[in-house]
Amino acid sequence: MILPRAIRKFKDKRAVKDSRWASLFDQYEGDEVVSLDCETTSLDVSEASLLSIGAVKIKGKRVKTSDRLDIKLKPPADLTAESIKIHKIRAADLVDGVSIEEALEQVLEFVGNRPILGYYVNYDIRMLDKFLRPAFGFGLPNKAIELSHVYHDIIKWRHVGGDVDLRFDTIADKLNMPMIQRHTALGDAISVALMYVRLKHGDTPL
Amino acid sequence: MPDSFKMENLPFSLLTESEQAFLRANLDIGYYQSGEVIIKAGEQSEGVYVVFRGRVAESEPLDEDDEMLHVFMHYENEDYFGGWSAMHGSAIHNFTAEEETICHIFSTEILLELIDSNPGFADYFQQNLAAKSEIVAQQGEGQDMAEFMLATIEEAVVRDPLIVNEGTSIKESTQLMRETKSDSVLVRRGGRIGMVTGTDILNAVVLNDGSVDEDVATIATYRLITCKPDDFLFNALVIMTQQQIERVVVMEGDTLVGVVQLTDVLSYFSSHSHVIGLRLERASTIEDLREAATGLNNLIKALISTGVRIRFTMDLLAAMNKRIIAKLFDLVVPVDMQPHVCLIVMGSEGRGEQIMKTDQDNALIFRNGLNWAEKRQTMQRFSETLISFGFPPCPGNIMVSNPEWINSVDDWTQKLQDWSMSSDPEDQMRLAIAVDAKPVAGNVALFKVARNWFLRTMRNNDLFFSHFAKAAVEFDTPLTFFGNLKERDELDIKKGGIFPIVHGVRTFALEQRILATNTFERLEALVDAGVMQESDSKDISEALGLFVNIRLRQQIRRAEQAEDGIDPTPNIIELQQLNKMDRELLRDALLVVKSFKKSLTSRFHLSS
Repeated sequence: MILPRAIRKFKDKRAVKDSRWASLFDQYEGDEVVSLDCETTSLDVSEASLLSIGAVKIKGKRVKTSDRLDIKLKPPADLTAESIKIHKIRAADLVDGVSIEEALEQVLEFVGNRPILGYYVNYDIRMLDKFLRPAFGFGLPNKAIELSHVYHDIIKWRHVGGDVDLRFDTIADKLNMPMIQRHTALGDAISVALMYVRLKHGDTPL
Repeated sequence: MPDSFKMENLPFSLLTESEQAFLRANLDIGYYQSGEVIIKAGEQSEGVYVVFRGRVAESEPLDEDDEMLHVFMHYENEDYFGGWSAMHGSAIHNFTAEEETICHIFSTEILLELIDSNPGFADYFQQNLAAKSEIVAQQGEGQDMAEFMLATIEEAVVRDPLIVNEGTSIKESTQLMRETKSDSVLVRRGGRIGMVTGTDILNAVVLNDGSVDEDVATIATYRLITCKPDDFLFNALVIMTQQQIERVVVMEGDTLVGVVQLTDVLSYFSSHSHVIGLRLERASTIEDLREAATGLNNLIKALISTGVRIRFTMDLLAAMNKRIIAKLFDLVVPVDMQPHVCLIVMGSEGRGEQIMKTDQDNALIFRNGLNWAEKRQTMQRFSETLISFGFPPCPGNIMVSNPEWINSVDDWTQKLQDWSMSSDPEDQMRLAIAVDAKPVAGNVALFKVARNWFLRTMRNNDLFFSHFAKAAVEFDTPLTFFGNLKERDELDIKKGGIFPIVHGVRTFALEQRILATNTFERLEALVDAGVMQESDSKDISEALGLFVNIRLRQQIRRAEQAEDGIDPTPNIIELQQLNKMDRELLRDALLVVKSFKKSLTSRFHLSS
């Protein structure tokens, strides 16, 4: 049975009440957001493995690239030629990678209870949850901010009745934001963070 | 982390690999809307901002009622700002995003850490323009020519000497020469040292039927031409040419250091144009001289293209031009007249600051009451010959073919005084040209009498100096155009930078009665006289050198493109031709000019 995320979060909170992760479930009071991106072997959560995770904090108008997470995981068994083409990550690039448990712990430490920002962020959260739940007994409780929704909310007034093109490259292009290290988890996280800051604080794009 | 940050730009390229990694790891990215203040005057800067995208203006903080926004500078395209403010506690200007701007930012702590660990980076960040250009020069390539021009004998081409003792046979000596691949051998005979060359041996054995078993000491030459190890290589070449020899022995006091060979020295001369100096020395007819003189332009190009520091180039050319003019004077002016007249060069030539052959600005001073009927015709011929050498005539006709510029000592001093009391801009200009005069040929005493008299009368004449200095601050020094490099922006560097420095320094020097005419030397003398801070003097020197260098590179390029080979706009700097580094230095240099003009204004009470 698939429970709504809110209910699951409620159950999870009770489950971790006394563990070191309890604070993750507190209401976030600060002004920071974490932009997060995962590179995976497939776009289907059920069969995908994690290759790398990148995340960067945003504070106000500042993308804190100095405060970031850049994790490479141990190569999964299913690293295929297809995903190599997309991510340009080969098994050889991952030999120094960390285990999934270690990676998840770093992510939780880094993100805390801050909102998580991403492009198709639910995919990333579900991806992390898939490994988090069996190992830690809960899923990410954080508020999710979807870049394309933020974009859509701002842009839609100009496109009454029409569809808004929400492709990543289109948004980046419309916002005239530079793409940084495309197709690395950290690079995409930074690019998304920049677009977010731009949308939040800049003029409405044309 | 962002690889969008360009480490290859100065000063970051000065950092080691690990320092660069450290910096990269500590970069943030900031986003600023158009109109947003990034650093506010009076507040602390968070660190150093490097523009990734967009444009930032540095401006004076606005008063309540001050409507005019005075923008000092624009930053864009990897320019950095905020470092000064970060290190000095608070900013004195506003830094405002003029358009949507993204900056890489690193904090003051990171800056201080890098400054601590890397002296070169620290210099670049903390220092003045002089130190900055030094660093740039060191990073730059193509210093070979400077090394050649300034190479001393010891660091260049000294060969270890092959020395044999008296009693060694010619045959043995020849074998040793062959083994050591020397073409000469030094022979020690008692306390003296003699030299035997391959040619000497040939002459002794073949022409004079000598025996190969004879003592080599008997055919050696003991009057050796020597030089010191710290002599310039150029001097060794001059000696060889003058003495018509191919080897010079290098002696440090009484100790033999080695031998310098002509072939080794010549291998330093990649182009024959560098031998001009020698050809000048040897020229004995006007034709010889003309040939040598026309090679000068190539020499200039060679020097500049190899990145020789502009001041050395200027010095070298000033010396060469002076030699040409003096030599021509010797050839044209009758020997019996030479002690009674003095030829002076003025303006940039007098200052020794011309690079391309500039207009002739020259004059003749003669002894009071001198009876020389052919003066005019002779000097007419002198000017025409110089023109035929490629020295363009002076458009203001300030040259010896014009009788106005041929004066007795009395008339000359009278003219100087008249000009100094006139408020006619023409007269002011004549005076400015004349006070840079330098004697090049004839009787120098005549020139000195006039100059010393003039300097004495000018003493403490505040009104004159105030009036004279005014021209230096007349033109605005532009600093605000650096943002729009896509447009075809131009800058008249003579008005904006060179003239204010030259004239301002000239005024100071006159006031202090400094005899040097070269602006760089005047600046040094002003420091010695205690009227200028050494750091200011260095900055001003460096700024002037930079202006001249940039101008010259553009002049050469335009002259090559022009059909007639003449640059139509010699004082224009096309900004889009400059690379980032040059732009940054140019901007710093213009700032130096600006503050120099400020000090002129307050020193000579020039409030406009």
